[in-house]
Order: sequence, then structure tokens, then C-alpha cells
Amino acid sequence: MSRPQVLNGFHHYGQQQQQQPPFDGLLHLQHAAHAHAHTHAPGPMYRPLPVPSLPMRAPEHPAAGYNHQHTGHHGRTSTVPMSDPAYLAADDELAQLQKLSNEYEPETTVSAERRAQRAACSVPTRAPRAKPRLRGLLLPALRAFHPPSATDTPQGPLVGERQSSSAIATEYANADPVYRVKTAALPSKYAYFRTCRGDGHCGWRAIAFTYYEAMLRAGDVLKFEEEEARLTSMHNLLNLAGFSEDIYEDFVEEAFGLLQKLAGSVRAMDGAAADILLQTFNDFGTAMAIITYFKLLASAWIQSNPNEYQPFLLDYPDLKTYCQHNIEASNCEIDHVAMAALAEAMVKPAGFGLEVLYLDRSPGAEINNTYRVDGVGPDGYPSANAPTMRLLYRPGHYDILYKAEDFPPPVASQGPIHVALAGYTDGFVPNSLSSSGITDVMAFIPGLSYPAGLGQRWPPVSYDYTPNPAPQTQVAPVPAYTPAPTPAVPVASNHQEYVAPVHASHVNHHPPTNHHTLHLEPPVTLPIHPPPAPPPLSIERAPPVSVERGGPFRPSMYEFEPGYGAGQVHSLPFQTSIFRNSHYNTAHFLNPDFQPEEWSPDSEYSTNRGRHKSTSQ
Amino acid sequence: MSTKRIMKEYGECVADTPEGMKINFDENKITKWEVLLDGPDQSVYALPEVLSVSVRQGGHFKLEISFPPEYPFKPPVVSFKTKIYHPNVSNDDKGSMCLGLLRAEEWKPPNKVVAVLRLIQTLLIEPNPDDAIEPSIANDYKENYKEFEKTAKEWVKRYAK
Repeated sequence: MSRPQVLNGFHHYGQQQQQQPPFDGLLHLQHAAHAHAHTHAPGPMYRPLPVPSLPMRAPEHPAAGYNHQHTGHHGRTSTVPMSDPAYLAADDELAQLQKLSNEYEPETTVSAERRAQRAACSVPTRAPRAKPRLRGLLLPALRAFHPPSATDTPQGPLVGERQSSSAIATEYANADPVYRVKTAALPSKYAYFRTCRGDGHCGWRAIAFTYYEAMLRAGDVLKFEEEEARLTSMHNLLNLAGFSEDIYEDFVEEAFGLLQKLAGSVRAMDGAAADILLQTFNDFGTAMAIITYFKLLASAWIQSNPNEYQPFLLDYPDLKTYCQHNIEASNCEIDHVAMAALAEAMVKPAGFGLEVLYLDRSPGAEINNTYRVDGVGPDGYPSANAPTMRLLYRPGHYDILYKAEDFPPPVASQGPIHVALAGYTDGFVPNSLSSSGITDVMAFIPGLSYPAGLGQRWPPVSYDYTPNPAPQTQVAPVPAYTPAPTPAVPVASNHQEYVAPVHASHVNHHPPTNHHTLHLEPPVTLPIHPPPAPPPLSIERAPPVSVERGGPFRPSMYEFEPGYGAGQVHSLPFQTSIFRNSHYNTAHFLNPDFQPEEWSPDSEYSTNRGRHKSTSQ
Repeated sequence: MSTKRIMKEYGECVADTPEGMKINFDENKITKWEVLLDGPDQSVYALPEVLSVSVRQGGHFKLEISFPPEYPFKPPVVSFKTKIYHPNVSNDDKGSMCLGLLRAEEWKPPNKVVAVLRLIQTLLIEPNPDDAIEPSIANDYKENYKEFEKTAKEWVKRYAK
């Protein structure tokens, strides 16, 4: 390597690129830039998901649209998770670097030119490392950090739908190992998250949204009125801070308007409150008014508690200046002081808790940096059962997090839930086998035909033991067996019948096209299901899927994942009785992810109808 | 939101119009205000000949203040419709003035239009060459004030009668 020293940084850059994935700290900015250039240039959609290197398991919310927009002033130096676009960019860049490197001849002029570029380059800190070509790419990308306007650069909803937090892990799948580990550990503690659009207001938006959401979670109509009264009493602080009432009353109106709307919905118990909240926060004007109200309160709070905040703000001539530039300015992201102020002014007195998780590159196996404030109840002590607002902070960006228990499933609206213990169904097995007394070919193949046989022989059992058809669904999940080598025609046709429910989602896409299996079914099912012939519906539903699934292949393991296929959440992979009774079965109470099997009328009738009717009558 | 706020602010501006200003308000198009502004006495933008006449001094400048749909969460946009030789006003057909509280990153939703009007007036009296949009004019102003004054007055005569 006889390159002169001047070029070291430059040339090295290319070298490093080749040798290792671009996780080197120095490269972050540039890759971030590319990632942004790539994600933002093409269109309004978010970063492309899923990442190809992942298994084909589609996320439950496909375009979950994690809009990963780093914003605020920290955005510039932040490291951005790498994903494939970044890699691609790296390749382009590498090619360019290589080209430049090849063209390189008179080192002195080049380095002079580079120095000039360096001087001219307005990109701070690490940018000088960027080669001249990169400037063009970097600058638009940096602009992306400060989107000119929230409305003319659509990047997903202002506040997104609640979704599984595994999407975060997916997003970081190609990122720095520290991020990878931390985000992978996230879903086990924080099951859900919600994106906030990174338009420079995300932190304010996140805390305002979660505040209202916590009000909803508290579920107390009186609470809304209490809060309105409490906030009204804080308007003195606004006056003291020099805001004129005729100006801030507009913001107050929107903020209280939402409180009242939510209270109305809670009182009426119409279940619309969550939608109202989400819609309101996705309306730019209203959301901004509410955000501004929060900002003014934060500003007023800081100015009225100088002793608490002054020590953190020694860089500013006075608190007023700080508040004007860092809080009141319409286009400034929340900083930690403001967050702490809001925690004191808004969250704590409301009796809520606040948790901010900092996802950073500090070593650790999970997110280990948490800012926590506990709500104070009317008695002055931290309230135990108060809702906790949870935010996820990544440098320059806030999103909203939830624990699974923050959202107990709405039991009332779902009708009765039948819970069957694993052992319960097990007890019937011998009976069903013996009662039918039929030698099932599959029954002799260990671990194969067992549940299939079970399914077939449910009718007698249910007659004997219980009129309640619910338990049958427990046995329904037979997907594992469909692909099993089918030794004889009768058995195979039986399987086809049982496959249907599992692949109900496919049925929708493939209207019944293959009818040859129809011929198989009646002769076989009749002997085994003595009572009724399966209703025509079942015949229609069953065939297409089994054909599609045919052959000696077992389904991919991902098909057993909860959530694969609509309405099949509780089809568990019972493969063998051993497995079924082991704690690896999530329906087993020793399983760490214990999830009792549930019977849901919807999925039962929409997907299993054929089989269900045929067996339960 | 923005409509209500603009109406409110207009009411306030009418009640408390800074001296030498007049707002032409069109109820059908409340997001664009036309402001007629006389160059303040103390500034180079006053018409010298007219100075003796006590009624109306100064060149007459036409400005437009337009409110974005996101107002008050985005700043209003101020543009000089009359050409003016000023370091803080862009020397093109837009004549935009963008500094101080008018900057997107410095704008605060509680800011009022009256404050904007006052800012404009102050800037005519005392330009801010350190935050200039026209560096050459700023340079003139700082290094060669005589020249600046001369050109500015010429422009007033030519464009702002």
C-alpha cells in the first residue's frame, strides 16, 4: 500500500468496506445517509420490509411501516440501523470508491481538492471522511433528518397502530450486534409498540398520546374531569410565563376537546375511544395544537421551577431563552429536560407512571437505560395500579411501547372462552380409539396418526362425555399430519378434510378449483363418521388446500407460528402425544409462554365449519 | 384551527396596528394579507423629498403575509412585493424575508402577527447584516455604508414611490 498518508482515510474506507460489514462507527453516518436516501427518495412508503435475509415469515402487520425517521438535532450523529438498503448503498458506494481509487493519480492535487471539499463541506463532524462524491448523497439525506414539512413528506401515520414489537427486532436484524441483542430481547418484556412519525415532533407526540391513552386505560370517567380541572389550574403558570390567554386558549380548546370526547366515549362505553384518540392524533392541526399545549405547559413548568431545572441548563443564558428555543419553538424535538418537566407537570400528578427506555449502544443484553417516574396518587404516595406510559427512545426518535399486560384482552366482547387443559383432551384418546375399534393405518405409525385419529373419533366421545363441542377444536389443529406420507387412499382423503381448517386462508385465495378430492371424501368419511354425511360446505372448502399442500412435504415450521394464517392463532403444533403433554407445548401450563387454548366462535365457524359440523352433530 | 386564529390575530392587528402600516384584509382569502408599509423615518427607506411633508413619509412598500395551512405551527411567510435594497430581503421576484422568529425552526406557535409586523419595521430601521439573505448587500451595509445608503435610496425612489 504505497498510497500517501493523506489518502489514508479515504482509501481505507473502501478497504474496510470490503472486509467487514459496515458497522464501524465511522461509517454509520454515511450508511445512515444512504439508508435514508434510499428509503425516502422513492416514494411515500416506509423502509422496505421484510428484510430478505430473514425467513419468509411475514410480519403480522405487513407494512407495519415502521417509519424509521431519525429526527431532531441528535439525528445527525445517531447511528441508524442497517438494513439491506444500506448494504446495497454500500455496494454502490464501494463501486464509486473503487472507481475513484483507480482514477486516482496525482495525490497532491487530489488531496488539495479534498481539503477544499472538506472545508466547503457543511456536514459536521464525521462528514470530512466522506469522499467528494458522497456529498451529493449525504446532503439530501441529511435534509431527510429535518423534513421540511410534516405534511408534504408523508412517512406513514403521525401515530401508528399498535403492533408487535418484534417488528423492531426485525428492523434491527442487520444492525449493530448490540442493537440486535437488545431489540431481540425487547418483545419478551414489551410486547407491543406504536410508531410516531419522525417529523421533529415525535417525542412530544408520543408523550401526549400516551398521556391520553393512559387516561383511557385508567378507564375512569371522573378522571377526565379531574384532569381538566387540574390542567385549568395550571393555566396560571402559563400566564406567569407570559403566554397570552387569547393565544393559548386555542390549544387548550383542542386538548380539552379531546379529553371531553374521550370521556364521552368512556361514559357511553361505545368502545370508540381508542379510535377517536388515534384519529385525533393523526390529524395534523389538532395534534399540533395538543402538542403545543403540552409544550407551553412544559415551558411554564420549567420557568416556574427554576431551582430544579436551572442546574441542567447552564449552557443557556436563562431559562426563558432555553424554553423559547428548545420547547416553545414549533419545530423542536423534545429534550430530556423537557421530558422530565412533563413527567413532573403532566404525568405524575395525573397519577400515571412514565418509563422511557433508551435504546443505545451501551453494552448489555437488553435495554438497560430507563428513565422512570412513578405516578403519585391522591394520597401523595406512588400509586401502584396506575397506568404506566412507556416510551422507547432511540437517539433522535421516540416511539411508544407497551407491555402485554397493558392491554388485557377485551373479554366481554368475545363471548365465552373455553379453556381446555392439555390433559383433558388427552383422557379421551384411548376411549376414542377403542370405542371406534377401527384399525386406522395411521394409528400404527407412532406420532403420526394419533391426533388425526382423535379428530375423527371425536363424535362418539363428545356424545359420551360432554355435549359441549368446544373441546373438539383443541384437537382440530392437525396441520402437521396433512403432509405426512399418505399410505392409503382412505386415510389421505380423511386428511384432506382435516387440512381444510388450517389453511383456511388459502381457501380464500383459491376458490375451489380441484374437485377430484370430492370423490374421495364421501366413501371414507362415511364409515368413520357414522352420524351425518358432511354437509356440502365442508366438501367445498376442503379440497383445494389439500391439493396445494400435497406431496410428502411437511409444512414449514413457520406455519405453526401463532398468527400464521388468519384466525388460526390457536392451532398449535401437536405432533405427538409426547410433545403435546410436554411443556414445550404452549398449551401446557409449564410452558413459559403458556397460552391456554381458546375456542373462538368466529374462527371455528368460518374456517372449520365443515369438519365441525360433521363431527359435532 | 388556523382560520380562527388568523381572524383573532387580525382583530388584534386592527386594534393595534403599528404606526405606518395598513393591512388590506380580504375576507375571502384570509390566509394572504396585504400590508402597506411606509419606510420608517429613521431608516434609509423613507423618501427624502417627502420627509418635509408631515402627512406621509417614506417610500411605500407593499408586503404580503401569507399563512400556511399549518399556521400557527408553521411561521407565516413574509414577502416584499416592492423591491427593496435590504440585506435581509431576497433580491428576486419573491422578496422573501426569513429571519429571526420567521424561521421555521425558531417560530413558536404562540407568536403573534403583530410581533411579525414589528419585526419587519425594526429590520427596516436596522438591518441585520449578520443574518443576511443577500450577502453582497450585507457587505455593502457593513463595509460601505455610504454606498448602501445611496443604492437603497435610489431603489426607494425607483420602486417604492
